Amino acid sequence: MLETLGNLGLGFSVALSPPILFYAFVGCLVGTLVGVLPGVGPLAGISLLLPATFGLDATRAIVMLAGIYYGAMYGGSTTSILMRIPGEAASVMTCIDGYAMARKGRGGAALAIAGVGSYIAGTVSVIGLMLLAPPLAAFALRFGPPEYLALLLLGLLVLAYMRSGSMVKSLAMAAFGLLLGMVGIDQMSGYFRFAYGVVELGDGLGVVPVAVGLFGVAEILATAGQLAPPSVIRPKLRELLPSRQEWRESAAPIGRGTVLGFLIGILPGSAHIISSFVSYAVEKRLSKHREQFGHGAVAGVAGPESANNAAASGAMVPMLALGVPSGPIPAVMLAALMVHGVSPGPLLIQQQPALFWGFIASMYVGNVVLLILNLPLVGLFVNILRVPYPYLYPAILVFSILGVYAVNGSVVDVWIMVIMGVLGWLLRKLDFETAPIVLGVVLAPMIELSLRQSLAMSDGRYGIFVQRPIAAVLLAVGVTLVLLNLYSFARRGSDWRTRIALAEKGEESP
Amino acid sequence: MTRRRVLAAAAALALVLPLVAGAQEPYPSRPITLVAPFPPGGVADLTARPVAAAMEKVLKNPVAVVNKTGAAGAVGMQFVATSKPDGYTLLLALSSISIIPEADKIFGRPPAFTVDQFAPIALISADPTILVVRTESPWKTAREFLDDARKRSGQISYSSSGIYGTLHMAMELLSHAAGVKLRHIPTAGAGPALTALLGGHVDALASGPAVILPHIKAGKLRALAGWGDKRVAALPEVPTFKELGYPEAEFYIWAGVFAPKGTPEPVLAKLRETTRAAVGDAEFKSAMDKLETPITFKQGDEFQRFFDTDARRLTEGVRKVGRVEDKK
Repeated sequence: MLETLGNLGLGFSVALSPPILFYAFVGCLVGTLVGVLPGVGPLAGISLLLPATFGLDATRAIVMLAGIYYGAMYGGSTTSILMRIPGEAASVMTCIDGYAMARKGRGGAALAIAGVGSYIAGTVSVIGLMLLAPPLAAFALRFGPPEYLALLLLGLLVLAYMRSGSMVKSLAMAAFGLLLGMVGIDQMSGYFRFAYGVVELGDGLGVVPVAVGLFGVAEILATAGQLAPPSVIRPKLRELLPSRQEWRESAAPIGRGTVLGFLIGILPGSAHIISSFVSYAVEKRLSKHREQFGHGAVAGVAGPESANNAAASGAMVPMLALGVPSGPIPAVMLAALMVHGVSPGPLLIQQQPALFWGFIASMYVGNVVLLILNLPLVGLFVNILRVPYPYLYPAILVFSILGVYAVNGSVVDVWIMVIMGVLGWLLRKLDFETAPIVLGVVLAPMIELSLRQSLAMSDGRYGIFVQRPIAAVLLAVGVTLVLLNLYSFARRGSDWRTRIALAEKGEESP
Repeated sequence: MTRRRVLAAAAALALVLPLVAGAQEPYPSRPITLVAPFPPGGVADLTARPVAAAMEKVLKNPVAVVNKTGAAGAVGMQFVATSKPDGYTLLLALSSISIIPEADKIFGRPPAFTVDQFAPIALISADPTILVVRTESPWKTAREFLDDARKRSGQISYSSSGIYGTLHMAMELLSHAAGVKLRHIPTAGAGPALTALLGGHVDALASGPAVILPHIKAGKLRALAGWGDKRVAALPEVPTFKELGYPEAEFYIWAGVFAPKGTPEPVLAKLRETTRAAVGDAEFKSAMDKLETPITFKQGDEFQRFFDTDARRLTEGVRKVGRVEDKK
């Protein structure tokens, strides 16, 4: 412990030196902007800025790139809450209740809670990163394809909790999303599926164009189709801050989101996206006011927004402790270290103490910077809503197209967004929810790959899923959840029958 | 004006015109784009950046790296193959340039591009892959590994960066040379492939040396043999498969600069001259040093021969792999 404190002292001496402080600030600022811009997420932001870090030294480079990563998690909530456009893929869940809150005039409160939740999650998970990195990283490596599949199947169960309307309709949408997720190169055989000769479809439908289309563009189309323009929300200054009750309702979700996000973030893959889905489901499951979800439940903002921030820190664990690129974003950050001649590997912490501890300390500093940066901006951003729709919506549409195009520089992505926008509008008219589609698009490729990898590992034997302890436990949890649901479903079913029976009896008796 | 005079004038004009056109726009007179068909942080990107910076210095003209990613590199390569052959759009390609068209052929789909749509300019680096296993695994040498693989056919598994990807092809070339059968577990990239090995989910991996050196130094991984013609400088004690009697298992992760076919010869000459000067640049050398990627520069016939041999080996390899489901 003393040693950790001593090391942290070294870290802060690095992190608080003016140049490092400056690059941490630049990273946080760029990250916030990248997060606010519809579609452009941390991966695109870091990739675009990677070349700019080649002139810096390794510590400055990594501090700035990390700032972009967790900064984007802060900024991502802004457009989700105000305009129902996910600023990046991990903010999709925030669109649902965050936007509903904004429509009720609680947009400022939602933004403030997202900011504070992100701050708490960011800071707490850096403590986790600092104290637990090596043992946790070793655990994360034991997550192979079978374990990952079990986790994803648990994630799929989330679908059951995401619906606020008809079960059949949301399952249909989830199935549709899973089908859309099948587009692209089959990773096991090299086949192009449903690509129709369009090479760009080889990588499948991106989460970003699909989400921005289904949520943002569809919302704009729906508003444009209304006979009378919707009334402009004019937030009052005193309504910007969350009420005492809103704070109370978000405290526990922030705590749960932090732990959940950090643990899921450590696992390989694009875990920050999954963490927000899982957090939303957990909050809805645990909430006493489940009916509020989808209609502006503050827990539906606090949980996922905290989770995606904690996951961003969690992703650094295997990267720093083992030099293992656990997802696309850490991979780019590792490349940034390699460019500077720092070989990322299991010996990084020993060989580069100033870099590792400076990096840790800079994350404490960065989270404070982001809080200071974001809270005053709440007042500014909320005022965007004052702009009349005829000006606001075309501008948002332009930014959405720019953002989606910028991610891969691909016009095909823009078309996907447009098609999804029209589809999303149609589905809204028919009273279908679109969030399960996005979940399906995210999960389908991961589920398929990990299932087939597992079966390749076991030479086709399904026993692999119960022979490996972690996978077996996760699957058992999943089965228990299903059984619990079936039980309550059956009980409610019997209630319903008894009620009818009673009613019939009542009719007969007089 | 007589008819003859008109013809003479026209002929003179025809002679002068190209010169005039050339004089109007000396190459290069506007920014050049170097397309890296893989995302930032990968081998193609990390090689393209210093190459572009050094070329920029030599040409005194901007050279920008653009990542055009997708479909295992096919999107970026197709983009360059079909762009205007004027020397302003170049490609930094990896060996997948010869793999993708062959894989397209196997599946009977219209090829995204073909190899003969490109004019090779220069080879920048060629790093042999290295066979690694975890330190606690029973195999101390490549021979033990291959003997065991022969005994337990199809039981020993390896991860790769994806089907028909470089790390997969290296293993396939070895399997065919040594007459063994290994179990292939494709992953979503070189990073996940390494993670799968370190986590104990597969038994072996063929990887570029730079990525695995820190793990070898930390005692997590053991290098058994290399696919190169010569031993790798950073791993002098690790033999090559050639030394072990498998000369057909020669494989490199290489990176080279290409232009679209039809680029005028003077422009190609200028580009060859530029890349030659660029690899001599001190900053370029130090950048490649930091990446622990030795520079292997080849041009003209030498590069063409290297490229043709490599392409022949790889296309044969892809054909031998064939369609995965046909094997079942």
